[in-house]
Amino acid sequence: MATEVWLFILVGAIAVVAAVMLLLSQNAVHAALFLIINMGCIAFLFLLLNAAFLAMVQLAVYAGAIMVLFLFVIMLLGAERPGGRSPYGWLAPGAVVLALIFLVTVALALSQGGISDLQAPPAHPQLRVANLAADAGPVALRLNGSTVGDNLPRGSVQGYEALPPGEYELEVRAVDGRTLLSDSLALEAGQRYTALIYGTGAPELSLVPELAEAGSLRVFNGWGDAVWLVDFASELSDEDTVVLMADIAPGTLSDPLTVAEDTDFSNGALVNDLNEVLARTGAGMTLDALEGGSALMVLAPLRRFEGTLEATVDLLVTPSKASFGSPADIGLKLFNQYMLPMQIVALLLLVAMVGAIVLTHRPKVAPELERARLGRRRVSRPLTSAIASQLGQGGGSQDPDAAALPPAGTQER
Amino acid sequence: MLQTDAYVMLSMVLFVLGAMGVMLRRNAILVFMSVELMLNAANLALVAFARQWGNSDGHLFVFFVITVAAAEVAVGLALIVAIFRTRRNINIDELNQLQG
Repeated sequence: MATEVWLFILVGAIAVVAAVMLLLSQNAVHAALFLIINMGCIAFLFLLLNAAFLAMVQLAVYAGAIMVLFLFVIMLLGAERPGGRSPYGWLAPGAVVLALIFLVTVALALSQGGISDLQAPPAHPQLRVANLAADAGPVALRLNGSTVGDNLPRGSVQGYEALPPGEYELEVRAVDGRTLLSDSLALEAGQRYTALIYGTGAPELSLVPELAEAGSLRVFNGWGDAVWLVDFASELSDEDTVVLMADIAPGTLSDPLTVAEDTDFSNGALVNDLNEVLARTGAGMTLDALEGGSALMVLAPLRRFEGTLEATVDLLVTPSKASFGSPADIGLKLFNQYMLPMQIVALLLLVAMVGAIVLTHRPKVAPELERARLGRRRVSRPLTSAIASQLGQGGGSQDPDAAALPPAGTQER
Repeated sequence: MLQTDAYVMLSMVLFVLGAMGVMLRRNAILVFMSVELMLNAANLALVAFARQWGNSDGHLFVFFVITVAAAEVAVGLALIVAIFRTRRNINIDELNQLQG
């Protein structure tokens, strides 16, 4: 059998034994220690289930903070003694019978239900739209007749949007309401797409599916001529010039180029077949922000004010999907989808904290009651004589009450 | 990869042991610890299903369960301390003043 199975059996058995000992142990401190063992085992099982972040939270919060609180209260109350016999003798056999019935039901349900054969439905496809059209200006996007983006300026990208798989009609409109282009997109489940709007005059649309493997660079050529992606290692001589991608035909996508994490493209350029530099990739265009994702470099024309066309390079980085169960994955979901529940839970914690303080707070006795109680006690012999001796008066020479009460009253204020 | 069935079955066994602890133990603190054991068992099932569906929403849910359990422990132990102060006893069979 695989190591995972052996680990599961071993750790699961320890967890069950610890739970049984929690049930049977007479001393509450021992029970708390068994529960800590049980929680450690469950943290280990979380690790087996690819939930690394939760395993650490389990250890820190449960086995750490909560169990310390338990042990603290047990020691504070001196409650580690056994409780004696229960007055309900029928409870123990009844509980055992109910537990067995429950376990048999669950085992039947698990063996009949085929939980492990269930497959998750594939994720919805995601679509983002980049406006790189030369003459269109800001555009509005309509998908199947409903507006999905408004006033998207040239050079900007509308973020990813999850859509059910199927055929879509994407309509691009100018600010004045003219329809610039209308095209149908076929989106498949589990895929991420980038729709590029490019070209002079009436813009064109190209749908680029994201690559499965990460850390790659592709170039989309939206220019009229074939282009080469080169890296001028030195500005002064052509000797070190490296051709990274050759002969990318107009309107097509290059083959992926696997790039290292910190590849610096600040000296790169896109040149045409006459060796004229169309566009520089520009300073600071490094790929160190890829972090396991992939990048799409788009060469597209841009209309200048005087009417000339100029090629621009845009780098569209596809962020990697955070790996399942990692702190980044949990954090992204926590601060996007689950922001409101998190705030509510935080409020709940605050209320619980205040509630614990209120519940255990021992109120001070009201001052009048306290004074009355002290006044009654002061009449008694030993206290009055003590006060009288503090005042430097002989205990036996005067009436004790008359001597003691007035200065005692001033002391109280 | 180990089947989800195994994790769910282990989780149910732990849950039942916790439930028996709630029913059978008479010390309020031990009852409380058994409730924590039941919460842990439910968390284990949630994480197992989250892995099967490849969806980490289950992890988020476990995260919230742990947070709520922390709040619950704070209030519950404060209650136990308050009861112990007045009654000098936390045996749940004797806390029956509300009984009709």
